[in-house]
Amino acid sequence: MRSRYALRFIALGYLALLLGIPVVLVFINAFQDGFAAAWESVTTPEAQHAFYLTLVMVAVAVPLNTIFGVIAALVIVRQRFRGRALLNAAIDLPFAVSPVVVGLSLLLVYGTVDGWVGKWFAEQGIRIIFSTPGMILATMFVSLPFVVRETIPVLREIGTEQEQAAATLGAGSLQTFFRITLPAIRWGVAYGVVLTTARALGEFGAVSIVSGKLSGETETATLLVESEFRRFNETGAYAASVVLAVLALVTLLAMNLIKPKESRT
Amino acid sequence: MSIVVDSVTKHFGDYTALDDVSLEVRDGSLTALLGPSGGGKSTLLRVIAGLETPDAGTVSIGGEDATRQPPQQRNVGFVFQHYAAFKHMTVAKNVAFGLTIRKRPGLGRLARTARSRPEEIDERVDELLRLVHLEGFAHRYPSQLSGGQRQRMALARALAVQPRVLLLDEPFGALDATVRKELRAWLRRLHDEVHVTTVFVTHDQEEAMEVAEQIVVLNHGKIERVGSPKQLYEEPGNEFVMGFIGPISELSGRSIRPHDVDILREPADGTVEAMIDRIVHLGFEVRVELTLGDGGRTWVQTTKTQAEELELFEGDIVWLRPNAPAEDAPAEPAVPR
Repeated sequence: MRSRYALRFIALGYLALLLGIPVVLVFINAFQDGFAAAWESVTTPEAQHAFYLTLVMVAVAVPLNTIFGVIAALVIVRQRFRGRALLNAAIDLPFAVSPVVVGLSLLLVYGTVDGWVGKWFAEQGIRIIFSTPGMILATMFVSLPFVVRETIPVLREIGTEQEQAAATLGAGSLQTFFRITLPAIRWGVAYGVVLTTARALGEFGAVSIVSGKLSGETETATLLVESEFRRFNETGAYAASVVLAVLALVTLLAMNLIKPKESRT
Repeated sequence: MSIVVDSVTKHFGDYTALDDVSLEVRDGSLTALLGPSGGGKSTLLRVIAGLETPDAGTVSIGGEDATRQPPQQRNVGFVFQHYAAFKHMTVAKNVAFGLTIRKRPGLGRLARTARSRPEEIDERVDELLRLVHLEGFAHRYPSQLSGGQRQRMALARALAVQPRVLLLDEPFGALDATVRKELRAWLRRLHDEVHVTTVFVTHDQEEAMEVAEQIVVLNHGKIERVGSPKQLYEEPGNEFVMGFIGPISELSGRSIRPHDVDILREPADGTVEAMIDRIVHLGFEVRVELTLGDGGRTWVQTTKTQAEELELFEGDIVWLRPNAPAEDAPAEPAVPR
């Protein structure tokens, strides 16, 4: 009996110290000069642009990584070929490599002056580094593994019998995918999407390197938090943090709301 | 429709699942593929359905070569051991699946088949649910059904598209003994009602004997014997089939059915001396286990009445004699009809 309480105390205490108290303090500090001051600091043109840019990152990176993630999971689970293990391992690379290194490697490839392909793009008038495309690439890179990793176990679990049954009933491969496979794996995919979104919202290191940090131009919400903090505008930094946290919470809530009753039981 | 399998071979890596198998299934018949696990029976069924492609040989359904056809075009009903229920769909939607995908032109290869209107689909689904006794379950999800109900749903789903042949892969293998018995009898009656050519896989000889008109015994990827349940029991043709279909005992160095041995109280012509080790009463059936004069062991199946008449007791010395003409296993393999 006592050990049960002890375990619970450890679990909750750990969470409170690491997560709960710091997050609560961020909220308190954001509103230390009143709600009006906080609101003002997150509605400046620079701040508005930063949030807009963050949402653009999410709007591009999440759908692309979702489609890629489902395809990659299908390939890894259902196909046997040389290099499958390599592909499986490579997908975890963004987990293993520090985002700063990711940012630097993108500079090497897409850098305007001496980048591997960046020079060619620059000649075509397409700017990648210190511009939105580069920041999107960085965001996509760091948020790549989530959908794949969340989808693989559910795909393994459902097996192939339902799909074979659909085939004998006359369903073509696209029909089978959209009517049988996707509905069967949707909660794994949805959880992956939520994690991808959260990661894309919060990405700092890689984007920071390739952005150039031009206020009102290439500054995302996380970069805004940093620059406000450096300028000793604490209210601005904390208020922007609160907005980011709320966005992430909304994503989580949205998934729980769209979940139909059938799968909650 | 009839199914003709001609010289089909299938390997999985180094493993030979089917080795030059030829088989004919008559139109409207009910056939069991029987054999030990790994014998190739499921692979043969999947080759007929198009879920596996043979390395060599051909499969034709209703006189039409289907070897290169994908499963979508074969119009076969397939029932899986573990139901393969579409978990996110209600029972009615599951059953209607084959009909609804045909409804949409252009999306599938089956756009060529007749399209059904929604009312027609609903009607057909109702009819099928009545056929499999699931009338009240149309709006339930598979997770709310028992194993037997799920399998009946899977059967209705397979029958919905009016398949040319119905293929069942160990359909009752995941069910408990009572439900299994019920469903066997029910499948038999269903076949009398629907008359679709049916092939089912089983490793249970009793199931095969009870349900099928024709039994195909498969072992090590080869067909050992084809025949009616009676034929296979009475003329098994070889040792393997004899051992697989029905009980087997040994007397004077040859295999014999344990009920084909008489127990005598006195020695006579052609008898063998034995001592009773144990008498097992299984209701009407009585199983007598004995040690022979030469040290070998055997057992005899007799009835309660006979055992009482002979006043058998453990430790008694008795004499055994085969009561049926010797069924010597011929070496030649059975020829599929």
